[in-house]
Amino acid sequence: MDLFRLVWRNLSRHWLRSFLTVASLVVALFLLLTLRTFLTGLESATAAARSDRLWVQSAVSLFVQLPLNYPEKIEAVEGVEQACKWQWFGGYYQDPNKFFAQFAVEPKKLLEMYPEVNIIEGSADDFLTGRQSAIIGRALADKFDWKVGERVPLTGALFPHPDGIDTPWEFDIVGIYVPTKSTLDSNTMFFHWDLFQETREQAGMDVNVGAIVVKTEGGANQTAVMRTIDEMFENGPQRVQTTTEAEFNAQFVSMFGNVPFFVNTIGMGVLFAILLACVNTMLMAAREQVHDVGILKSLGFGNGSIFTVMLTQSLLLCGLGGGLGILLALATESAFGDLTATFLPIYNIVPDTVMLGVGITLAVGLIAGLYPAWRSSRLEPVNALKAGA
Amino acid sequence: MMVPISYNLRSLWVRKSATLLTVFGIGATVAVVAGVLALQQGFERLYSENGREDLAVFLRPGATNEGDSQFRREQAEILQKSLPEIAQNEQGEPLASQECFLAVRRYKLDGGETNVPIRGVQQQTFEIRAGEVSVTEGRTFTPGSDEVIVGEKLAGRIRGAAVGEVIVLNTTPFQVVGILASDGPFASEIWGDLDRMLEALERPNANRVIAQLKDGTDFTALTARIESDKQVPAKLLTEREYLTGQTEILSMILRFLGVFLGAIMGIAAVFTATNTMLSAIASRTREIGILLASGFRPFPIFLSFVFESLVLGLIGGLVGCLMVLPINGIETGTTNFQTFTEVAFAFRVTPYVLTRAVLFALVLGLIGGALPALLASRLSPTEALRRV
Repeated sequence: MDLFRLVWRNLSRHWLRSFLTVASLVVALFLLLTLRTFLTGLESATAAARSDRLWVQSAVSLFVQLPLNYPEKIEAVEGVEQACKWQWFGGYYQDPNKFFAQFAVEPKKLLEMYPEVNIIEGSADDFLTGRQSAIIGRALADKFDWKVGERVPLTGALFPHPDGIDTPWEFDIVGIYVPTKSTLDSNTMFFHWDLFQETREQAGMDVNVGAIVVKTEGGANQTAVMRTIDEMFENGPQRVQTTTEAEFNAQFVSMFGNVPFFVNTIGMGVLFAILLACVNTMLMAAREQVHDVGILKSLGFGNGSIFTVMLTQSLLLCGLGGGLGILLALATESAFGDLTATFLPIYNIVPDTVMLGVGITLAVGLIAGLYPAWRSSRLEPVNALKAGA
Repeated sequence: MMVPISYNLRSLWVRKSATLLTVFGIGATVAVVAGVLALQQGFERLYSENGREDLAVFLRPGATNEGDSQFRREQAEILQKSLPEIAQNEQGEPLASQECFLAVRRYKLDGGETNVPIRGVQQQTFEIRAGEVSVTEGRTFTPGSDEVIVGEKLAGRIRGAAVGEVIVLNTTPFQVVGILASDGPFASEIWGDLDRMLEALERPNANRVIAQLKDGTDFTALTARIESDKQVPAKLLTEREYLTGQTEILSMILRFLGVFLGAIMGIAAVFTATNTMLSAIASRTREIGILLASGFRPFPIFLSFVFESLVLGLIGGLVGCLMVLPINGIETGTTNFQTFTEVAFAFRVTPYVLTRAVLFALVLGLIGGALPALLASRLSPTEALRRV
C-alpha cells in the first residue's frame, strides 16, 4: 500500500510529463482501434453472411447483366425455394456526389428472404402494394432527412429515365428499416423491380437483370445447387457464377487489394512510435529517481520492491492512457460510422478489438517498464545515493 | 548575446538514449504520413500526368464514366467522321477511335477476385496513342482476330495473363499475344479488337469515342456545340479532365487519410518531443542557472532550446525519410470504386513527399520544444543555481 502511494507520488511529481505520456497513449490507442475497426468492418461483411442465400451473377463481369428468363429457370432447380431479381440502379440525388446504393428488387421476395429487414417506420404493406414505393435504411433517412411519405427524385446515371437524362425517376418513401443483423447495411434504398422493368419496356428499351439472389430450401445441398445453376448456363447466352453470400461479399473485400495490409502497416508504425515514447518516459523517470531508490534501499527495501514500484509506474501510466484511448474510440464510434458510411457499410468496434487494445496497452506498459525497473532494482545503494536528487 | 549552437548539439549527444528514442518516434510518425502521401502521389500522377489536353473524350450525355456511357455504332461513326476539329493522319483519315470498355472478373495470382478493365479498340487508337503505348513482348493483336495484349502491370498479378495463355470472355477464348507497356492507366488494362470484343460480350454498342483534336481547337465552343447537337448529342471532356474525374474520390480518401493520420500521430509525437525536452531541461536546470547568471537573457535561452528541439525534429524527419525511401517504386493495387476496376500503381516518394515530411517533422519539433523552452527561459537564476 505504501509502495503504491510512492508510485502515485512519483507520477504526480512530474504531472506534466505523466499527462503528456497519458495523452499520447490516448491518441495512439484511439488510432489503433479505429484502424482495426476499418479492417473488422471489411471482414465482418463476409463473416455475417447468411448460409441459405446464394448469389447468381454473370461470370464475365460485375457489369454484365443476365437474361430476364434466368430467375424462372433457376427457381425450377431442385433445392431452390425462390429467386429474387436484383438490379443495381446507380442513381444519385441532386448531384453526382450524393450517390448511395439503390436496388430494384421484388419486394415480397426481399422481405421473405431477408428477415433482417426490420421496418420501424411506415409499413411493409405499403411497400408491397405501391408501384413507386421504396424503403430506405435509417442511416440514409438521417443523412438526407427523408421522411415516410416523401417523394424522392433520383437521376439515373446508369439507367437514364426514358424521357431524358434530366428527368428524374421518382420514388415514394413508404418505410424506413433498420437491419437486425450486419448482413445488410443501413445506407440502401430498395424499390420495385416492376417499376424499373415497365418504365424501360414502355420506352422500348431492353431489360436484363443484374444479379439473382437465391434462397435454398432447408436441408438442400448448397454445393449441388450452385453447380447445377452454373452448368445450366455453361454454353451461354451468359455464363453465370453462383456463390454463397459469404463468397459474394468476399469478392468486394478482395477488391480492396492491399488496403488491409497498408492499414496494418500504419498500425505497426503507430505502435512502434508509441512504444518508443513510453520507453523514453520510463527511462527519464528511472534516471530521476535514482537518488530515491538509494534512500529506499538504505531503508531496507529489497530489489523486488524497487522493481515493483518502477514497473507499477509504467503499467499505471500506460493503463490510464490506453484505457482512456479505448474509451475515446468507443465514444466516437457512431460519429466515425457516419463519416465512413459511403465506402464502409459497417463500422462497429467488436469485443475482440477492445481486447486487442487492452492487450497492447498492457504489453506497452510491461515493455516500457521492464528495463528501467530491472536497472533501478540493481542499483548499488551507495552509488545511487551519490546521484543528484 | 546568443547561446552557442554547439551547446545544444552537444547536449543532444550527451543524452543519446533519449535523443535516439525521440528521433525514432518522430521518424516513425513521419514515415507513416510520408508513406500515405507517396501512395496518393503515385495514384494521382498515374492519372493526371498521363491525361492529354489535346485528346477529346466523347461520352453519352449524363454519363460519369465510360462504363456508363454508350453510343450506337452508327452514332459513334458520325462523331468520328463528321467533326472538322478532329486531326487527320497522312492518309487524310480522322484520328478518332471507337472504344468499348468493361471491367471483367479475373482472379489474382495470390488469390481473390478483382475487376480488370478490358478495352476493345480500333486501329486508330494506336495512331492516337503512338507516343504513349508500346508492345514490349510478343506482338500486337491482329485486327479482326480473337487476340489480346495485356498491360504489363497485370501480367504478374492476374491469372492467365502471360503471353501464350488464353483469356476467356463469356464463351469466346482470346489468345494473349503481347504485353502492353504504358506509363498511364493502360498498363492495367487488356486490349483487343473492338468488333471481336463486342461480339464476344454480346454487346451492340461502343462505350466512348476518343479523338485527337487539331492544334488551336476551341474546346469550349466544341463542347457547347456537341452537347446541343440534334443528331448525336454527347458529353465532351479532355482526357485529362476525364481521368482526373475518375480518381477524385480515391485521391480524396488518401489525402484525408494522410491528414487524419498526420494530425493524430503528430499530436502523439509532439507530446513525446515535449517530454524529451522537459526532461532535458530538468536535468540541466543548474546549467541554465549558470547561463542566466553569466548574463544570457531569457529570450536567447528560449531560442536556444527551441533550436535544440528543431534539430531533434529535423533528425527525426530525415530518419523518417530514410525509413520511407525503400517503398519508392513498389507496385500495389486497389480498386477504384468509382469505376469498380483494379488499378495498379507504385508508391512515389517524390521531392514533394520528402519536403512535406521534413517540414512536418520540423513543425513537430517546433511545437514540442516551445513549452519546455519557455519554462527554461523563465527560470530564476538563483533558484536554478541552488539545484544540485
